[in-house]
Amino acid sequence: MTIPTPRNLIHRPLLALGLLLGMAGSVAAQGILSGRVTDKAAGNPLVGARVFVLGTSLTASTNADGRYRITGVPGGEHQLRASQIGYASITRPITATDQGATTVDFALVLTPYSLDEVVVTATGDQAKREIGNAVSTVEVADLVRNTPVANMNDLLVAKAPGVSVLPGNLTGSGARVRIRGASSLSLSNNPIYVVDGIRVNSDVNSSAIGIGGTNPSRVNDLNPEDIESIDIVKGPSASTLYGTDAANGVIVIKTKKGRAGKPVWNAWMEAGAVTDRNTYPTNYRGWTAGATVANTTQCLLSGVVAHTCVLDSVSSFNPWADNQSSPLHTGARQSYGLQVSGGTDAIRYYVSGDWEDEVGVLHMPDIFQQRLLALRNIGQVSYAQQNPNGLRKTNVRANLAVNLSEKADVQVNTGFVTSTQRLPQTDNNTTGLGSNLYGGPGFKHNIVNPPGAPASFVRDNFGYQRYTPDEFFSETVSQDINRTISSGTFNYRPTHWLAFRAVGGVDFISRDDGDLCRRDECTYFGTSKLGFRTDARATFWDYTGDINSTASYHLSNELSAKTIVGAQYVKEKFSRNSAQASDLTPGGVTVNSGANLAADETTTLTATLGFFAEQSLGYKDRLFFTAAVRSDKNSAFGLNFQRVYYPKASISYVLSDEPFFPKSSVLTSFRLRGAYGASGRQPGPNDATAFLAPATANLDGVDTPGLLPAALGNKGLKPERTAEVELGFDAALFRSRVNVEFTYYKKTSRDALVSRIIAPSAGTVASRLENIGKTLNEGVEASINTSIVDSKQFAWELTLSGSYNKNQIVALGGVPLAPGVTNWSREGYPISAWWTRPYTYQDKNGDGIIQFSSNPALNEIFINSNDSLVYNGPVLPPAEFTAYNTIDLFKKKIRIQGLVDAKVGGYTEFDTERIRCQSRLNCRGEIDPTAPLSVQAAAVAVRQAPSSSQYGYIYKTDFIRLRELSVTYSFPDRWARMFGASRASLTASGRNLGILTKYPGIDPETGYFGSTGAALTNDFQTAPPPSYFTFRFNVSF
Amino acid sequence: MTTLLTTLARRRLSGVAALGGALALAACDNLLVAKDPDIIETATSASAAVALKNGVVVRFQAFTSGQQGPDAMFQFGGLLADEWRSGDTFEQRNTVDARTTNVTNSFLASPFRNMQRTRNDGRRAINALRTFSPVPGTNIALMFLLTAFAENLMGESFCNGIPFSDLTPDGTDIIYGNPVTVDSAFKRAANDADSAVANNTGVAAEVTRMANFAALIKARALLNRGLFAQAAAAVAVVPTSYVYQATYSINTADNQNWSLNVSGKRYVITDGEGGNGLPFRSAADPRIPTSAGTIAFDGNTPYFFTTLWARSDPVTVASGIEARLIEAEAALNAATPDVATYLAKMNEDRATKAGLAPLSDPGTQAARVDLLFRERAFWMFGTGHRLGDLRRLIRQYGRGPETVFPTGTFFKGGNYGTDVNFPISIDELNNPNIPQNATTIGQSTCINRSA
Repeated sequence: MTIPTPRNLIHRPLLALGLLLGMAGSVAAQGILSGRVTDKAAGNPLVGARVFVLGTSLTASTNADGRYRITGVPGGEHQLRASQIGYASITRPITATDQGATTVDFALVLTPYSLDEVVVTATGDQAKREIGNAVSTVEVADLVRNTPVANMNDLLVAKAPGVSVLPGNLTGSGARVRIRGASSLSLSNNPIYVVDGIRVNSDVNSSAIGIGGTNPSRVNDLNPEDIESIDIVKGPSASTLYGTDAANGVIVIKTKKGRAGKPVWNAWMEAGAVTDRNTYPTNYRGWTAGATVANTTQCLLSGVVAHTCVLDSVSSFNPWADNQSSPLHTGARQSYGLQVSGGTDAIRYYVSGDWEDEVGVLHMPDIFQQRLLALRNIGQVSYAQQNPNGLRKTNVRANLAVNLSEKADVQVNTGFVTSTQRLPQTDNNTTGLGSNLYGGPGFKHNIVNPPGAPASFVRDNFGYQRYTPDEFFSETVSQDINRTISSGTFNYRPTHWLAFRAVGGVDFISRDDGDLCRRDECTYFGTSKLGFRTDARATFWDYTGDINSTASYHLSNELSAKTIVGAQYVKEKFSRNSAQASDLTPGGVTVNSGANLAADETTTLTATLGFFAEQSLGYKDRLFFTAAVRSDKNSAFGLNFQRVYYPKASISYVLSDEPFFPKSSVLTSFRLRGAYGASGRQPGPNDATAFLAPATANLDGVDTPGLLPAALGNKGLKPERTAEVELGFDAALFRSRVNVEFTYYKKTSRDALVSRIIAPSAGTVASRLENIGKTLNEGVEASINTSIVDSKQFAWELTLSGSYNKNQIVALGGVPLAPGVTNWSREGYPISAWWTRPYTYQDKNGDGIIQFSSNPALNEIFINSNDSLVYNGPVLPPAEFTAYNTIDLFKKKIRIQGLVDAKVGGYTEFDTERIRCQSRLNCRGEIDPTAPLSVQAAAVAVRQAPSSSQYGYIYKTDFIRLRELSVTYSFPDRWARMFGASRASLTASGRNLGILTKYPGIDPETGYFGSTGAALTNDFQTAPPPSYFTFRFNVSF
Repeated sequence: MTTLLTTLARRRLSGVAALGGALALAACDNLLVAKDPDIIETATSASAAVALKNGVVVRFQAFTSGQQGPDAMFQFGGLLADEWRSGDTFEQRNTVDARTTNVTNSFLASPFRNMQRTRNDGRRAINALRTFSPVPGTNIALMFLLTAFAENLMGESFCNGIPFSDLTPDGTDIIYGNPVTVDSAFKRAANDADSAVANNTGVAAEVTRMANFAALIKARALLNRGLFAQAAAAVAVVPTSYVYQATYSINTADNQNWSLNVSGKRYVITDGEGGNGLPFRSAADPRIPTSAGTIAFDGNTPYFFTTLWARSDPVTVASGIEARLIEAEAALNAATPDVATYLAKMNEDRATKAGLAPLSDPGTQAARVDLLFRERAFWMFGTGHRLGDLRRLIRQYGRGPETVFPTGTFFKGGNYGTDVNFPISIDELNNPNIPQNATTIGQSTCINRSA
């Protein structure tokens, strides 16, 4: 090994910068290393294994024969390492000669855990042992093949400690992801996504059309079938170099790549059912004199105790469970795909294509279809109206890797997805399913004159409150997506110590949102019966340019160093044109057919330019220290704030590699790690600017252009700044059969952007963003992966993981954020926590009915008299646990995989029941005298007491769920060969199979949501999660 | 280790690297240009000044009768009074109807803010008009008048303790105001009406239109202050046929009396609400034609509606009818009640509407007051007068709150509360001039909740 002169020590970092700017010189060829990497047990070659010379930029991958070749190796002593996912790496000292060839072979041993596994970082691939952070890796390919994975939601849920995922509950709806809690009070708490090195759009609720429930997420455009692995970078201690906006974590996705060798074909067919196995609340009705099926006269318990009515009887009806009324049916899912990969040492390819179709569980009941057939004089109700929730998607991908020379290679990755989606009117929506079915009366055949209809129009609503599925499912909300994510990576290694990487790409999305109510087909709400059409066409452009250069060198025989300098540019542009029409001509389905037309246009632009430098030092390949800084400038920062700097530092110490560390079969390896880093979240593109907005004024009957002051702006606006300290250890025990990871973190957000409410008397906007908050997330994460049994006949691998996070608002700059009815962000408590006025109750007169009375002697409900709110609990569950079992039977012919997860300590409001009691007047607590007193008290407190309290509807959301269960049978090879295949397997799997919970609502993971905020769940007339049962046939050629 | 570049090459490279780095940094600002075409950052022309003026009209339309969820004041005030009953599921409306409005009611801040924005946007428009488009002065007069209208309506609707904050001249910072009594609000309204008159120049017809509007707003403020004679004097010039209207269109906003009552069925026209309410339906008065529907939006409340307004019909915010009623009230409150003038003025109004017989003296002063306020309620239904009138009955005529506001058992459960006005929203706690008690949800900026 040669040591550079002090002058070189100065110039090599400078040269890294020079190369970054494209001015590197060329170098002469040196020695050659070559050899073969095999599986020690089976003796077969390992394809795609990485071999690299430590402390240099020299690296190579093995081909189909397991062979590798590294050129340009300077003469002298080196450490050569071979690693492959799933195998223990081997490092060998070698002596290379100038102009000579050296052969080194490796035989790797299978192991479930290795510190030499490579993870993707902001500056390129890096071995885990060098990184001071915990990075959770999800190996996707196996999950997709053998478990019930329909979309990105399924891939992420319960897969990594500290990563909370609330899956979407409608077909095609997005998930909400929170990593290590929520830090921001007013900005997004979603992580960012990076695919093959470029930023991609990951908007949640990505639609111009509101449906009342969860809209699609652009994350679900990504195709799990094409993903090789996902690395989850959990916080600023690791995400610093990803720059502003990475404070919530980064989901780093690597798509599949080809490997040298003959073409390998993989094909699959998947089919299954989507079912709703939930139990829904029953509607009640208190019958009294004068009540009919056509009026709403009823006797409530409040009337009974006030002697204003006599409760003759109580009836109940659950329309969800009624064969005629229920909008639920068994949906279907099918998917077909084909992938091929292969190539030569020079060119490798991966090409895939797949098609999927899913129809959700909502369906227009037959009784309402029959009504439409008669009403419209048609033979069949359209498929879209019968099945208002569905998704059809086609993906194609082509990834190409070309070795241009022994010093340069290029990768080009292109994926394209086209999808069409239908979304139902649901959840928090007057004309949606939830409000009409949860709000229905306690009997089936209610005769209704719906709001907006002529008084003469009455019909049997079959238990629906106002509007019926023939009306609201006739509104078709659609979304068509055409999206391409294309990136290119160019690697150039002019010398053994210098490497250059350039990544560029674009994520382009064309999104067409449509909403159509044909004339006479939808509800009578407002002017809907006249028909309306919205055609909103949007494009999203996300550009990424990222260049860096790395200089690797040795400061001494034991001390290696690496200097990285780089720059990144990210630009996002969104533009949308929307045309709306109402009062459609009969038969008209386009905007052109409307009598009233309107249009709007919107554009948003943001750009970030960042520079970064990172210096790493490695001592004897066991102690690593890294320090880095990134500086960003962003178009959204205020005029008085120009540039932000984010530092980071980390240390990783593989203690078990020290000679003094006792060698033991119990503790195989042990690593300590620690990291500090900062990152940010940028404000919205116009938040810093005071501006005016156009408006139309009607002046004495004439529409005239006007201008409205629309924003106060904030010249000093800067990004939120989140800094995180992370400490942890990784331990492998019993020859790596048990692997433990433990991490403690403390994440503090300063200058937290708070949408500060402006006193209304100021006569300006309602709020503006100000950097006034400070929040804290502190917690621990742990996982234990153990191979309990590992024999030919039977193997059992168990992974247990858990996390606990304490979320707290430390300061709000003295700003008294106004409490909502039930949620309040207050110093010393979690963000947007539950706060209500508690009450007690007592059935003083023993009549079995809780009553409110203004007469204290008669009153039986006692609400906190001083009007003070009391903290009930956090919205995010602080603790989460998962248990993942993999059992192999019969020489691994049968594999059983099961995932159980639990979330503990969170709270939500059973808001569906609250509104039923408060205004639908159909809940048991206010009608049925046999209802438990606690249920009655909740209804009385919310509806009758003047100081209304929703305390009775705040519940814990603790649950344990059997999330996934799958059984895979691998056909004997001879069977596969009969069809010309090399491998074949059949998987039967299920998702959301069972739950244990005391939550009285439909499901503790029920939720719809917006794009910001801390909460995961909102149980307000909301769709609960369905269950999936699928069969999948995989075959490889 | 063998170095691969010559010293010369390294030096050259370092120099070029430094130069390149400098150039890259210089290029930053160009790369970060992200001009959003959706926003307009300046208004420095004559047409922009006029557009700002039009924007204030948008605010005015919104807070009078052009906005729902949160609702405009004409509807929201009528809900707290006895004009409307909530046929809705929203608690924000139900609690207002029940006279139990909490300061956290999320419908509370917006109409108040819109009125304050009318005031501050009006000031900005006045400055722009004076700079870029000073002629005709009627535009400036209109800005003062819409400001005055908002100030007066705030006084009629909200509790004692209304802060009036201002913006700095560049419109980017806030000068917070202290809470003042409703009487102070009425004084501000009267003063701004006077300023309108002072600036009222231009085309004769428009000058007259603005002058009448100014007279009515000032008179309304004076009436609220109990200065009956001065109020009557102010409106003496206003012809009975005069109207000033907030106008609506499909492209701007729907008339919310139609939208909330007829279309949405969330508001129901009442009949003797809470015992004290007027019989708006059963009176079968031609001024408020009503019809019976079936069930309101909440699925439980019997539904009734008025056909007074269609979707884009204008809403009268000031009229000669009101001028005569002010004169009638002044006559009634003269040192020696002038019953003849009182009746004549009311009957002058009634003569304009078919089907209304002339009124005769009910005999007692209390009955005369009842009759006058009944006339006001029927003539000006749904136009933002009734809440202020009920408060005046308490404040100026000594009536007990429980004798004028709906009371007793609330039809959706529980009892009516004691509200006679709206509290200021809890959002106002962000005004540093308001005493803070962040642990108490019920804290209000009100000095008191009396009428």
